[in-house]
Amino acid sequence: MIIDFIVAFFATVSFSVLFNIPRQQYIYCGITGAVGWIAYLLSSYIGLSAVLASFVATAVLTYFARMFSVYRKTAVTVFLIAGLFPLVPGSGIYYTAYYFVMGENQMVVSKGVETVKIAIAIALGIVCISALPNKMFAGIRRRERNR
Amino acid sequence: MQEQRRILDLTIRAGEILLHNGAEAFRVQETMTKIASAYDATNFHAYVLPNGIFASIDNREREVYFTNTRHVPLGPIHLGRVAAVNQLSRDIVAGKYTIDNAWKELDRIIEIPYANKMLQIFWAGICGATFCYIFGGDFFDSIVAFPMGAILYIFLLSVANKKISRIMTHIIGGGLVAACGLILFEFGLGNHMDKMIMGSILPMVPGVAFTNSIRDFFSGDHLSGMSRLIDAVLITFCIAIGVGVVLNIGGYLGMGGAL
Repeated sequence: MIIDFIVAFFATVSFSVLFNIPRQQYIYCGITGAVGWIAYLLSSYIGLSAVLASFVATAVLTYFARMFSVYRKTAVTVFLIAGLFPLVPGSGIYYTAYYFVMGENQMVVSKGVETVKIAIAIALGIVCISALPNKMFAGIRRRERNR
Repeated sequence: MQEQRRILDLTIRAGEILLHNGAEAFRVQETMTKIASAYDATNFHAYVLPNGIFASIDNREREVYFTNTRHVPLGPIHLGRVAAVNQLSRDIVAGKYTIDNAWKELDRIIEIPYANKMLQIFWAGICGATFCYIFGGDFFDSIVAFPMGAILYIFLLSVANKKISRIMTHIIGGGLVAACGLILFEFGLGNHMDKMIMGSILPMVPGVAFTNSIRDFFSGDHLSGMSRLIDAVLITFCIAIGVGVVLNIGGYLGMGGAL
């Protein structure tokens, strides 16, 4: 689990570099991504399907991204896009296209449907947490000020 | 009247930077409207497509309308600039910037550099290695995936400024990674060739664009969702064609037996 955390951390940081995120935010992007990935692994571990696990993980990740965005006074997108990388079904769409090219039609359908489901689950996860009122996150900044 | 025009120019400029560096269409529209209303613009309207911006504003007497249209091709994603413009728009709303100062700030923002090329290549390698592990490769595979990811990124950087179509870039990129994978695997490096290829190809695969297109659909922006979705699918197919062709050729030559 610790190895998974570290790997997901560096995976997210590597994308943060490729997408030119400001250097001060790398660590927070990494934590966001790693937390999301661990949430995904844990939900898979307790028996949730890949789609449901993606939803739960995205919800957790978006919550962290919003917290960091208040704490670091940066747009949510920065943490969200970077943090999503381990979860996003990049391999899913790639394998769908790959089987399509290779002519394995049954695999195309099963991979394709799963990929679309996961993408919808992730989008729903983001929408749900984005709908939470800002007030829930305002506390973080207030605590900062008192310190 | 002049002032209204300058507000229009400023918002268009801010929107252009946002869109060019990879912000979502609805966010661009929101930011432009926010900036305009912070300067008390009247009758400001913006319409943002994934690759273009239209905006209009009247002089305060509703006699003349000024319009501005921009075609904005998508550049390499630079979230640092997106975040900076976002911060600027928030400061403008808080009343910290005059129009002139905001222009200066925008000029500073487009000068924010890209990450150092060597650094990008190094981290692309790390990206390949870590994702190879995430997709179920073992430690040995990850180490082999590191140079593959780096080679892919060297290729992407070297064609970035040349006029090669994105389709060809992605076909060749996919083929290049597959060829590297085949050759390294043939030399006995790595245990799972498909995991290695998958991991190192990931910097090219538009997974986030795919997910964002679904988000666009949810937020009711079907036009931009559709164009992103088609773009993501097309690009992925190009990559898969590149990989598939090379693996097939390799198969004929009797390489990569584990497939």
